[in-house]
Amino acid sequence: MTAGTAPAPTTSAAGRAPEPGAAGRVVTALAVRSVRRGAVLVTVVAAGMPALVAVQHRQLDQELAGASLAALAENPAIRTLFGPPVALDDPGGFTVWRTGTAIAVLVGVWAALAATRVTRGEEEAGRWDLLLAGRLRFPAVLLRHLVVLLGAAALVGVGTAAGLVLAGTAATGAVLFGALIGGTGMVGAALGALAAQLLAERRAAAGLAVGVLLAGLLTRMVADGVPALGWLHWLSPFGLLGRSAPFAADRVLPLVVLAGTVAVLVAVAATVAARRDVGSGPWRRPGAVRPGTRELRSLPALAARHTGRPVVGWGAAVFAYFLLIGLLATTMTDFLTENPRFAELAAQAGFAELGTVRGYVASLFTVLAVPVGGFVASRVAATAADEVAGRLTLLYSLPVRRVRWLATELTGVAAGAVLLAGAAGLATWLGATWVGADLSAGAALAGVLNVLPIVAVCLGAAVAALAWAPAAVLPLGVLPAAGGYLLLVLADTLAWPGWVRGLSPFAHVGAVPAEQVDVPGLVGLLVVAAALTAAGLAGYRRRDLRG
Amino acid sequence: MPVSAPAVPALRAEHLSKRFSRTVAVDDLSLSVSPGEVFGFLGPNGAGKSTTIRMVLGLLRPSGGHVEVFGVPAHDVGRAHRHLAYVPADVALWPALTGRECLDLLAGVGPGTDLDYRAELVERFALDPDRRSRTYSTGNRQKVALVAAFATRAPLLVLDEPTSGLDPLMEREFRRCVTEAADRGQTVFLSSHQLAEVEAVCARVGILRQGRLVEVAGLRELRRLRRSEISVTLATPVAAGAGLAGVDGVADLQWRSPVELTMTLAGPPAPVLRALAGLDVVALDVREPSLEELFLDFYGDGDHRTTRGELRA
Repeated sequence: MTAGTAPAPTTSAAGRAPEPGAAGRVVTALAVRSVRRGAVLVTVVAAGMPALVAVQHRQLDQELAGASLAALAENPAIRTLFGPPVALDDPGGFTVWRTGTAIAVLVGVWAALAATRVTRGEEEAGRWDLLLAGRLRFPAVLLRHLVVLLGAAALVGVGTAAGLVLAGTAATGAVLFGALIGGTGMVGAALGALAAQLLAERRAAAGLAVGVLLAGLLTRMVADGVPALGWLHWLSPFGLLGRSAPFAADRVLPLVVLAGTVAVLVAVAATVAARRDVGSGPWRRPGAVRPGTRELRSLPALAARHTGRPVVGWGAAVFAYFLLIGLLATTMTDFLTENPRFAELAAQAGFAELGTVRGYVASLFTVLAVPVGGFVASRVAATAADEVAGRLTLLYSLPVRRVRWLATELTGVAAGAVLLAGAAGLATWLGATWVGADLSAGAALAGVLNVLPIVAVCLGAAVAALAWAPAAVLPLGVLPAAGGYLLLVLADTLAWPGWVRGLSPFAHVGAVPAEQVDVPGLVGLLVVAAALTAAGLAGYRRRDLRG
Repeated sequence: MPVSAPAVPALRAEHLSKRFSRTVAVDDLSLSVSPGEVFGFLGPNGAGKSTTIRMVLGLLRPSGGHVEVFGVPAHDVGRAHRHLAYVPADVALWPALTGRECLDLLAGVGPGTDLDYRAELVERFALDPDRRSRTYSTGNRQKVALVAAFATRAPLLVLDEPTSGLDPLMEREFRRCVTEAADRGQTVFLSSHQLAEVEAVCARVGILRQGRLVEVAGLRELRRLRRSEISVTLATPVAAGAGLAGVDGVADLQWRSPVELTMTLAGPPAPVLRALAGLDVVALDVREPSLEELFLDFYGDGDHRTTRGELRA
C-alpha cells in the first residue's frame, strides 16, 4: 500500500531527492483503486438506464401508449416518487421524469457510502496509519481521496449525458441532466466525507450522510405536494433537479446552487479534518461506559444488540417518509378528483381506485419493499463483514453451530423488517388520519404486511449470497426489491412482454388495500424465499470461513 | 509419541491437508496430543500453523484427512467445542461492545466459566473491562480473549500466538496461567513465535515447515538429537589430539589455545567424559542448544537444512 512513498527524507539511492509530488500521486492512485469498480458500475447504470428509456420512448406508438402514460404520470403515488411530469412528449423530458429521481438517489447514496468507506472506513481499520507515517499530512490525504470521489461522481454525470446524447435527445438538456446527476453524486460524496470527519465510526457516518440525502428527498416531496412550500426545492439536490427541468425549461441557476453546496461541504469537511486527531472525531461516543448497565449473555441478546440501532435508524427514516405520504394523501387525491379526465384514463389503463386514498397508499406501500429489502440485505452484509474482520472467529470457537448463529441473526433481522413495515403502516395511518383521509388502521397494516414476502425474497437472496458470493451480499440482497421495482416500472411504461414483467417479485403482489391480497403470488414468493434461505444456510454451513 | 497413549487424545489429526486453489497450506499432517500435555506448535510465518488451528476449530474444512477433539470430529462444533477454548492470533471484537460484555457473552455461550477465577484474571492482566472494545489496543483485545479462555474449565486450550501483543509483565502472567492450567490437568496447544515462551512452558513441540510437520518430539529428546557444545579448559597444555578426536559422537574439535578446546557432541556423553578423565580439566561447560538454535537449524537456510543426526557444514 505504501510502496513507493517516501523512500528517504534526504536522498534516494540514486542520489536524487524524491520528487515532491510522488507521495501524493501514490495516495491518489490508491483512492482511484478503491472507488473505480463501484464508479464503473454506477456509471454503466446511470448512462444505460436513461438511454434505454429514451430509445424505447421513441419506438413507442405514441397514440397507443399516450393514454396509459398519462394515467401513470398522473398517478399520485408516481408523482410523489418521481415528481411532477414536464415535457412527457419529448424523449428526454420523459426520461428525466421517469428515471431522474431514481438515478439521482442511486448516484447520491453510492457516492455517500463510497466516501465514508474510503475515508473513515480505512481510517477506522488502521490502514491510514501506514499512509500517514509517510510524508503527507492527514488533511492532504483526505482531500486527495475527496477529489477522486468528486471526479468519480463527475464521470457518472458525463456518462449520463453521453448516454442521452447517443440516444438522440437534445444536447442541452442531456448535458444539464448529466451535470445535475453528477452534481448530486458530488453532494453525496462531500456529505459522506463531512460525516466521516464528524463521526468516529464508519457505519454511523454512512448512516448520517445517507440520512441527510434522504431527508433531501423528503424535502422535495413536501415541496412538490404543498405549493406554499415550493421554495424548499432549493434546499435539496433532488428539488434542484426538478427546478432545473432539463429538456423543458433548461434552467442553469439550480446547477450553480448545487456546485456551491458541494464547495461549502468540502470546505467544512477540510476544516474539521484539520482540527481533529486521526482515529477520532468531534462527535465521538465516549469509550468508557458505566459498568453493568446492560446484560449480554446469550446469542439472541447479541443479535438484538446488532439489530437494535439499525432498526431505530431505518425506522426513523421510514416513519418520516410514510408520515409524509399520509399527510399528502388528500392533496394528491384532491388533484385527481378535480381532474376527472385523468382518473378516467387511469381506470381505462387498469388502475382501479387510483383516485382514492386506498389506491394511493397501496401504490406507495409497494415501494416500501425497497427500503426494507435494503435493510435486510445490509444486515446480512454486516454479518459478512463481521466474518471478514474476524469478529465471528471467537464466537464460532464456542459450542455454536454456524447455522444456529446465522438463524439467530436472521430472526433478529426478520423481526426488524416486520417492525419497519409496522412503523410505515402506523406512520401512514397517523398522517392520513391527521388530514382527515379515509384510511383505517387495519387497511394500512394489511398494506404494509402485504409487501413482506418481497422482503423475504431479499433476505433469501442475501443469505444465498452469503454462502456463495459473500463479497456481493448487499447488491444481490437488494436486487429482488430495487431491481424488481425498476423492472416492473420499465415493463409497465414500455410495454415489455408479460414474462419479463413476471420476473419482478412486484408482479406477484396485489395493490393492498385497494385490491385483494394475491394469495397464490404471496405463497409463491414465500416458497422462493424459503428455498433461497435454506440453500444459503446449507452452503454457509459447509464452506470455509473467511477472515 | 507418548509412551502410554491414553484411549482418547485431546487432539488428534490424521493425514490432515488443506489446499487453497493452487497452494497447499497444510500437507498430510498427523499429530496426537495427550490430555494434560502442554504442546508447542512452531513454524515460521506462512508455515500453516493458523490454517491447522482453523481446521481444528471447524472454521475451515480439510481438503483431506480428519481431525478430532477428544474423539469428536472437529466439524461437529456443537459437541467438539464443549471441550475447548480458543485465543486467536488477531483478536477482533465488536467495537461497540465493552470488554465486560464480550467476557459475559463468551461465558454465557461457552463451555462453562469459573467466574471467580475470571475476576482474578481480569485483575492479574490489568484489564479495564468497562471500555468499548473500539478503544482497546491489540494487547488489550488479546487480554480479553486470554481471560475468557483461561477462565473456562475447557479441557483443551488452543492458543494461536496469544502473546504477540503483550508486554513482558503480561507475558509472565500468561506463562503462569499456562502452568496453572497444566496443573489443573488442562491440555494446552500453543502455537507461538516466542521460542523462549515455548521453551518455558511446553514439554513437547511440533515443528511445521511449508505445511508439513517435520518434527514432533519432547524438548529434551529434540535436544538430544542435536549436538551440545562442550568447552574444556585445561591446567596444562597437552599433546595435540589428546585422544579426543576418535571418541564416539565428537566432532568439530577445535583448540582455541593450547589449554582451551571446544567440540560438539552427539549422543551420550560417557565416552567423552572417560577421555577427559585422563586430562587435568580446570573447567568444563556443556551447553545444550537453545530452542532458537534448533529452530534456526530447521529453517535457517532452506537448502542446507540439516537432517536428524547430521552436522551443519
